[in-house]
Amino acid sequence: MLDDLRQRMRALERPATLEGSVAVLPLGVSEVDAALGGGLARGALHEIAAVSEAHLPAATGFVAGVAKQSLCSALCRAMDGRDKPGHDGGKAIVWLAEDMGAAESGALYGPGVDGCGIPPERLFTVSVAHRRDLLWALEEALRCCSVSVVIGEIRAGALDGVAVRRLSLAAADSGSLALLLRAAPPEDASAAATRWIVGAASSRGEDPHFTARLVRNRRGPLGSWILTWSDDDGFAAHAQPLAAPLGDRPHRAVA
Amino acid sequence: MLSLWLPRLATDRIARSREDAARPDGRGLVTYGKRGNLDVLTAVDEAAARRGLSVGLALAQARAMHPALEAVSEDPQADADLLEHIADWGLRYTPLTACDAPDGLLLDITGCAHLYGGEDALIADLSARIDAAGFSASIAVAGTIGAAFAAARFGRAGIHANGSERALLSALPLSALRLDAEIAASLARVGLKRVADILDLPRAPLTARFGSGLLRQFDRALGREHEPLNPRLPVAPYVAEQRFAEPIAREENVLAITGRLAARLARALERRGDGARRLELTLFRTDGELRRIATGISRPSRDPAAIRALFTERLAALADALDPGFGFDMARLSVLVAEPCAPEQIGIGNEDGEAELARLVDRLSARLGGQRVRKLIAQDSHLPEITAASVPAQAAGTDDGWTAFRRHRVEAELSPRPLRLLARPEPIEALAEVPDGPPLRFRWRRALHEVIAADGPERIEGAWWSGHGGPARDYFRVEDRSGLRFWLFRAGLYREALRDDAPPAPAPGWFMHGMFA
Repeated sequence: MLDDLRQRMRALERPATLEGSVAVLPLGVSEVDAALGGGLARGALHEIAAVSEAHLPAATGFVAGVAKQSLCSALCRAMDGRDKPGHDGGKAIVWLAEDMGAAESGALYGPGVDGCGIPPERLFTVSVAHRRDLLWALEEALRCCSVSVVIGEIRAGALDGVAVRRLSLAAADSGSLALLLRAAPPEDASAAATRWIVGAASSRGEDPHFTARLVRNRRGPLGSWILTWSDDDGFAAHAQPLAAPLGDRPHRAVA
Repeated sequence: MLSLWLPRLATDRIARSREDAARPDGRGLVTYGKRGNLDVLTAVDEAAARRGLSVGLALAQARAMHPALEAVSEDPQADADLLEHIADWGLRYTPLTACDAPDGLLLDITGCAHLYGGEDALIADLSARIDAAGFSASIAVAGTIGAAFAAARFGRAGIHANGSERALLSALPLSALRLDAEIAASLARVGLKRVADILDLPRAPLTARFGSGLLRQFDRALGREHEPLNPRLPVAPYVAEQRFAEPIAREENVLAITGRLAARLARALERRGDGARRLELTLFRTDGELRRIATGISRPSRDPAAIRALFTERLAALADALDPGFGFDMARLSVLVAEPCAPEQIGIGNEDGEAELARLVDRLSARLGGQRVRKLIAQDSHLPEITAASVPAQAAGTDDGWTAFRRHRVEAELSPRPLRLLARPEPIEALAEVPDGPPLRFRWRRALHEVIAADGPERIEGAWWSGHGGPARDYFRVEDRSGLRFWLFRAGLYREALRDDAPPAPAPGWFMHGMFA
């Protein structure tokens, strides 16, 4: 009787994302993908924070790059015949932002979005007045199976852990990628699968460079890299990493 | 056609707005306003009328006759608002209601009376409700607007059958024909005072003498010429409504009713192959207030479950809760905009991705507002802030212009564009090489940025034909010491400002416009 119940409980519980194989989105940089265990986990929530508010455009670029990788990998899969043609490439990207965000740091600019390889036709922008509307809309968009990437832009302030957990579950349900773009490094402990702190790095007029610090990773070690982004080839590692990848230890905030 | 006349609208409005204790106690209540240099009475209530006061009497004279008289300054705007309010309330009887200013309403009850069990029952219901609301009213039904108007105002309230207009009107004075005051006065001068007087006169001399207006009104009242009603609200192509024996108040019940009405609408829509694009739910409160809730759908739809789900979101998003008062006694769901919709199997899980996406857009739009869910479109302009725009996703057409934009970008070899664009360019203090160089350092939002790399200029002229966009701009892509990449421009040229013979032009200014990744 008890065993039976336990088994049923186990069946009801979600397969833990830590174990087993999960669908991943490779970023195309071998060092980073190795740390991530193949790439960013799909069906999970990832936080990308700017080093400071001034670096928000760089973080925006990083998020846009991830979104573009997601669209591309879907197209590749479609071409390999592993997937229904146009199954994911035809899916939409939903970008949610609070009203203040557009006023302070500018709104997404179509030609620029197009320039980084995201077709603006597939992009829906939603502006919300309140944080709770943002979380509600994020969850709604995540539960929609025609949306592949959902991006929520958050200005400042802590996020409710329960809300983050809800979003993670919604993402796991639909298998879409949830990205939270934050204007400043958050203080709060995170229930997200990974947390990045991204800033601009000097590019001397070449392709944009980013410093990307992985400060939380549920599936592997942390690390810090300098990445470059090119509209044609996607992410690449800059020749010199800032520091050797750190060992496998949890972030102090969640320890 | 039903004409409702509220002869004491202004005084009834004042009396209604007061507490019971302060109601006029038979002393008489009048309103007054200036006509010429004189304060004259513009409305009198029943008690005042009984004492021999009438509209048009000078206020001073009325006060002299009845010192206890209560006089209030007139407020035509409030009267007009109230009349519109009553007209909206009249929607419970028919979708075609019109204000007949200043103190009447017209309701086209053709084909609606049977819902109440005949015209008699409808009039009884209407007069009971109007009476309970505290208005004195006179109601007449006749075949034409003119006849109903005349009957309501000249003591012939009741129902007049079609074809009896002639008999009805002939006994009435000519002013019952809604004539201009001038025409009525000149008719009176020649001794024509009643409608019967002109009934059988030859038409040509009448027209020659008094203009065509007289006979047009006459023909309209008799039904020889059609007179269109000018309804207050557009008539919805599809309407479903439900009256309740007991008022309902709970939100779940409202939603359940919405679903049922939507199912009824779906059948009507399907017969004509239409789908709803815009819907409105009207809730009639027992005390005469209405609540209107509208929502849009991005693809024509007639799926009752989807419609109900949208109204669930709308109700959840209402800033003030749905205040039912003592309950709603009627609900109406109207399709305001309908578009052809291909037949599809609804409710079975063969939805394609687009439909799923459209449903998400609808849900978000219903909850957050249609203006907040947007799509980016490209427009045919070289000015950066106009090149890209965003439109509400529900209203977005199929051609968003990006294909044309990409072709243009390749042909014109446009330099990269920023990922984020400020709502409007922000002025910055910049130190730059004169005349055409990029800035060496600049201050934006109180932070100093040292430029280490710059690319440009890219000249973008303003729209000289319309003055839009201002002077020519030279755009630069610059990178500062910490790696931040900006898109900024100089408006105007130093060269022109420095020329001796040039007219004094404002010095060029520097502006921040966008940020690159």
